Amino acid sequence: MRELLILLLACLSVTHVGARTWRYRSGAGASLQTVINGTAAGDTVLVEGTVSEGSIRVDRPLVLLGGADAVIDGGGEDDALLITADHVTVKGFTIRGSRRSNLDDMSGIKVNECRGVVIEDNFLDKCFFAIYLSGVKDARVQGNTVLGEPGEEDHMANGIHLWKCSKATIRNNRIEHHRDGIYFEFVTDSHITGNTSLHNLRYGLHFMFSHRDAYEDNHFEDNGAGVAVMFSKEIAMRRNRFLANRGASAYGLLLKEINDGEIIGNTFQDNTTGIMIDGCNRINVRDNEFRLNGWALRLFANAIDCDFRGNTFAGNTFDVSTNGSLIPNTMNGNYWDRYAGYDLDRDGHGDVPHRPLGFFTLLVEMQPYAMVFSRSLFVSLLDRAERLIPSLTPESMKDDRPLMRPPVRKNRAVAVANKRLFPHSAFVIFHSSFFIPAGMGLNEKWRTSEHSVVLVHPCIFPLGGRYQDHG
Amino acid sequence: MLKVFKYTLIDLARNRFVLGYALLMLLVAQGLFALEGDPTKALLSLVQVVMALVPLIALVFTVVYMYDTLEFTQLLAVQPMRRSAILGGQLLALAAALLLAQAIGLGLPLLVHSPTVAALVLSLSGSALVLVFAALGALIALKQREKARGVGVALAIWFLFVLVYDALLMWGMFTLSDHPIEPFVVPLAGINPIDLARIMVMLQVDLAAMMGYSGAIYKNFFGSVGGTIVAALILALWVAVPVLFAFRVFRRKDL
Repeated sequence: MRELLILLLACLSVTHVGARTWRYRSGAGASLQTVINGTAAGDTVLVEGTVSEGSIRVDRPLVLLGGADAVIDGGGEDDALLITADHVTVKGFTIRGSRRSNLDDMSGIKVNECRGVVIEDNFLDKCFFAIYLSGVKDARVQGNTVLGEPGEEDHMANGIHLWKCSKATIRNNRIEHHRDGIYFEFVTDSHITGNTSLHNLRYGLHFMFSHRDAYEDNHFEDNGAGVAVMFSKEIAMRRNRFLANRGASAYGLLLKEINDGEIIGNTFQDNTTGIMIDGCNRINVRDNEFRLNGWALRLFANAIDCDFRGNTFAGNTFDVSTNGSLIPNTMNGNYWDRYAGYDLDRDGHGDVPHRPLGFFTLLVEMQPYAMVFSRSLFVSLLDRAERLIPSLTPESMKDDRPLMRPPVRKNRAVAVANKRLFPHSAFVIFHSSFFIPAGMGLNEKWRTSEHSVVLVHPCIFPLGGRYQDHG
Repeated sequence: MLKVFKYTLIDLARNRFVLGYALLMLLVAQGLFALEGDPTKALLSLVQVVMALVPLIALVFTVVYMYDTLEFTQLLAVQPMRRSAILGGQLLALAAALLLAQAIGLGLPLLVHSPTVAALVLSLSGSALVLVFAALGALIALKQREKARGVGVALAIWFLFVLVYDALLMWGMFTLSDHPIEPFVVPLAGINPIDLARIMVMLQVDLAAMMGYSGAIYKNFFGSVGGTIVAALILALWVAVPVLFAFRVFRRKDL
């Protein structure tokens, strides 16, 4: 024991009297576990080098700091790092080599039944479960990079997995190639902010039976089935980006049995289905942007009292589809790029209602192969006729005050699908302003496209200025 | 043949209709891009215009032009040159003029406002449609002696391809929806050149929806390299077969 202590360098702690800092360098004789066993509550252990002595267990309040090249390699037996005490901090490690087991849920970092754990700035390399919190209160998981290994669903587990936790904060992590990027089950009053979840086999984010949580400013892209929120209450979803979740059963956002949620300011782009709403009550869907999706919104008839306001629907193959005729939901003041009405009183809202559910949408619901007629003359004639005299589409599915222009958004969507082949060169001569006289009352629309405004120059159209000061 | 090609092209260059076609397309394309703030949406509207308008114009123009130049053709026919050279030169010149007009009217605005893969596919499909319907137009004009009749047939054919075929196909799809129609859907949709061109464009602009269940069957076939080649071959056949028939008719025709 004396030789061991020689190898360790004890320093004074800055936090409170009696707490010490231990410096541990791997390969210097003792094992990290012995060092940890020798620490007192509140101590700090600074670890350097690769520790591969199997599962490490932290059973007292400690700060584990990863120094240069600090690696904890579980060597394939059980959890790489197991935390069972309150107020443990793990920071700056590379963690790998957890055992793959569907029976025992083995993980890179497992935290059991405690409070106040902080897991920060770690790199979890091909772990089975990467970060696994069970029965933890006030946890903070921040700035970690979690990379899994692409494989079969049976041999994969979740990136950040929380079970029966409360007041957790999951912030600024990056998760790739796991089964579910972030998984919440029985987790309450928690925040998920600024994370990036990509290329996961199933869901980028998955909620089950979790209430009063919020997820904001996250980025979900190319996940097998998008994001799923199921059987949960009072979930706030704000300013997230749901991109490129494609496939027959892939959704930007799948809502199943959700009550009193709110979906505000999100971007849904290039998804096969933007939002799928199944059996939800009182969802507030506001100020979102739906672009270039196959189906922007699938609203099942069992959804009640959902309210859609201020959303932008543009470039989607289908804006809205449903499976019934009774629509006990409201749509008001959204922007639909298919809207063909007019605005005589110039209050920014169309004077005739818009019916977003097209005839063709119903046809495709009935006969999927009819998809081949998308954008054909025949279908557009049918669609137009149906909008004039609705016969098959539900009468109540309409937006009474459609917006004439897309609402201005603070966080703009980044176009991903339609990247330009060439940079937008200054083809001023061919610009639209040459072909449409300025006084056609279209100026309002011109202002919405970024590059047009500059080009409507008084030198080209002496009349231009006179018409440009509406609104 | 080259001489005929040259003089026909010069004649076509002075033809107001070709110029008008280029200007019309330019105006439509520019107008759409100007009216819609969003280039993606303008592209989508343009798809519909191209799929309906381009075949109509190519068809009617070719028919009318063939009748109008009948006297010149007769003059050429008495010269010591082969009839296939006369028709070959004329058809090539027609195709070149229409393609050029389309490049200016459609290609240029697309290049300026929306230089995307979807726009490229739209441009290529539009060009293919020009060729197909010019070939059909030539055949009609040579088959029918009377101009009014020829134009009538051309209109009927356009109507058939652009509307009636789809309507019939859709009707069939819904009537036989209880049967396994899957093997027939792709080939039947692919026979009609307008549908085929539209599917190729759709695979670009409606990609997200095509990844779903409904679109998967089309995506799997036409979205692959093999499918693209097959589509190009079908369109090439739609040009080659009418042209071959036109040559046969013209060789035996009593001018």
